[in-house]
Amino acid sequence: MPINEVRNTVLAIANKNNYGYISPQDFNLYCAQAQMDMFEDYFYQYNNQLLKENQRASGTGYADITKGLIEVIDSFSATQTLISPGINLFNLPSNYYLINKINYYPTVSTSGTTTAAGALTLTDATATFTSTVTAGQLVSSTSTTSTTAGQTAYVVSVDSNTQLTLSQSIFGTAQTIGNSYTIVANTGIVEVERVNQDKIFYLNSSPLTSPSAGYPAYVLGGATTTESGNTISVYPTTLTTPGTIMSQYVRYPNPPNWTYATLLAGEPLFDPTADDYQDFELPLSDEPTLIAKICQYVGIEIREADVYNFGTQELQQEQQTQG
Amino acid sequence: MAYINDYAYYANSGTAPTNANWGSYQYVSLADIVNNFMLMYQGNHELINNIERYQILFHAKRGVQELNYDAMKEIKILQLDITQQLRFVLPQDYVNWVRISQFRNGGLHPLSENIQTNWSSAYLQDNSSNILFDQNGNVLRPQDSEVDLARILRGNKSIYLNQSSAYNGSEGYCCDGNWYFDYAIGARFGLNTETANSNPTFTIDKQSGVINFSNISGAASIVLEYVSDGMKNGVDTEVQVNKLFEEYIYAYIKYSILNGRLGVQEYVVNRARKDKSSLLRNAKIRLSNIHPGRLLMNLRGQNKIIK
Repeated sequence: MPINEVRNTVLAIANKNNYGYISPQDFNLYCAQAQMDMFEDYFYQYNNQLLKENQRASGTGYADITKGLIEVIDSFSATQTLISPGINLFNLPSNYYLINKINYYPTVSTSGTTTAAGALTLTDATATFTSTVTAGQLVSSTSTTSTTAGQTAYVVSVDSNTQLTLSQSIFGTAQTIGNSYTIVANTGIVEVERVNQDKIFYLNSSPLTSPSAGYPAYVLGGATTTESGNTISVYPTTLTTPGTIMSQYVRYPNPPNWTYATLLAGEPLFDPTADDYQDFELPLSDEPTLIAKICQYVGIEIREADVYNFGTQELQQEQQTQG
Repeated sequence: MAYINDYAYYANSGTAPTNANWGSYQYVSLADIVNNFMLMYQGNHELINNIERYQILFHAKRGVQELNYDAMKEIKILQLDITQQLRFVLPQDYVNWVRISQFRNGGLHPLSENIQTNWSSAYLQDNSSNILFDQNGNVLRPQDSEVDLARILRGNKSIYLNQSSAYNGSEGYCCDGNWYFDYAIGARFGLNTETANSNPTFTIDKQSGVINFSNISGAASIVLEYVSDGMKNGVDTEVQVNKLFEEYIYAYIKYSILNGRLGVQEYVVNRARKDKSSLLRNAKIRLSNIHPGRLLMNLRGQNKIIK
C-alpha cells in the first residue's frame, strides 16, 4: 500500500479549514501506530472467523474470509536459522511477533568457513562440496557476529568442489569472508515442540515422552535482570549443532516511513528513493481502515472533532459490515 | 514407512544390514502415527484442538503398549543358558511370559510353572530365632535362603515319570539330569500334579527379575517366549504397529484425549469409546486370519475317526 497515497488522503480530510497540516514525523508515528493496531487485529479476526466456521456461519469460495486473513498473516512469515550462543541455547529473531514453528534439521551435509565473497555464491577453499552437497539443500550463515547471521539460502547448483551457487546472497560482501556456514539436508526434519516452563521438568522426566532427536522440545526464556528473554532452550540438550535449528515466525511489519526532501521554503517533497523509505506492508484493501485510524490520531492532534469522528464512524461502520 | 522401491526393500539399497526392510510394509511407524494424527485428527475444525504433540505421543505409545500385551501376538523369543544359581534373568523388555521351554536334544520341551514357591528372601537369626540387625538398624540378610539353597543344591524332591523305569511315579532327586531315589519305605500320600513332570519346573520371581528353576541341570538351555510392550528399549524410531491396528491406534488416541478433556460432551466420549472398541475387535479378527481356505483345511478332518 503506497504510503504517499495514504498521506495525501489523510491531508485532504484533515485540511478542510486549511490548518490541518500534519508534519512528516507525526504522520510516520501515526502510520506505525495504525499499522501495528491493524496487524495485531488480524490475529483476533482470524480467531473469530474460525469460531464462525465451527458454528457453520461462514462460507467457502469467495465467502472464505479466513483464507484472506491467513494470506495476509502469511505475508509476514519469515524463516531464520537460530544462532546459538552456546550449549542448547538459541537466540530468537529480534523482529518476531509470533514464533510459529521451530524445526530441527538432523542431517548436516557439511559445514565450514567461507574463504571468499561473491554474489549468490558460497566459496570454501577447503570444502568437498561435490561429494557432500546436493542442489536444494539449505545453507545457513551461522557466525554469531556476522551481518548475515541466521540468514538462509538454498543450494542452486554445485559448481565445483569449493564453490556453490546459492539462491540468496548471504555471503556476498567482504565482511562475510571467514563466516561459518552449515549445510543441511531437507530430510528427516522434525518440529521442535514448544513446552511451557511448568511442564518441561515433567516432560524430561517422563520415560515415554522425554524429548528426543525425533521429538525435540523447547522452552522460551533467557530473561536477565536487565533484558527480557529472547532465547530458547532446546531439549534434548545434545541438540547443539549450529545451523540445525530453524525458526518459522511471523515478524512485525516494518514501520512505514514517508521520506522527503526538504525544499527551500520548508515544504517537504515526497522522496521514494530514500534508503529508509518504507511503504505500508498491509494489503491495499486495508487502506480505508488505515486512513480512518490515522484520522483519529490526526483529529486529536489538530483538535478537530470532525476528523476524529469521521475516523471513528468509518471504523464502526466497517466493524458492522464485517461483523 | 515411506514407500520404497524393490531394490531398497530386498537389499536395503546395498547398505548393511541388507534385510532391514524385509516385511516392513506390514507396519506403520510411531512417527507416522503421531504425524498423521496431528495432521488429520487435530485442528481448528476437528474434535481435538489445542493439543500438544507430546500428549499425542504419550497416548500413541500407550496404545502400542496395550496392543503388545495381548492383541498383536508379537511374541518375542529368547534363548539363554541358565546361571549357576539355576536362574534365568528376564530380558530387559520383558512384560509377561507366554511359554518357557527347555531346549534339549534338538527339541523344545515346554516346562510347567510351579505355583509353589521355590525361592524366598530371608533374615539372619541367632540361635534363639532373634532377627539380627546391623549398626544402622537394618536387618541382616543371607545371600540365599534355605528355600533357595534347597533348590540350587537340588535338595527338593520331585516325581519321576518314566514308564519304562521301575521308579516311575516315585519321588526322587534330580541332579544334573540324573535321578536319585530314597529307599521306598512306607506309603506315599498325595501327588502334587504341578510338579509331577519329568521336566523341570519354574517359578517366576517378578520383583527380582528372574525365573527360578527346580530340578534342572546347571547348563540347561532355556527358551523364553514372552511379550514386551513394543517400546524397543526407548528407541522411538523402531516403535511400530501392524497396519491392521493403525485405525485403532488413532481411535485410541482420540478417545484417550477426549475422555480426559474438560467440557467434552458425554456422547462424544461414548462415541469415541465405541469406535475404539469396535476397531480393536475388527483388528483382532483380521489378525486372527480366519478365512475360508483355512477353515476348509480344518473341516476336512471332521470325519476322521479318532482311535
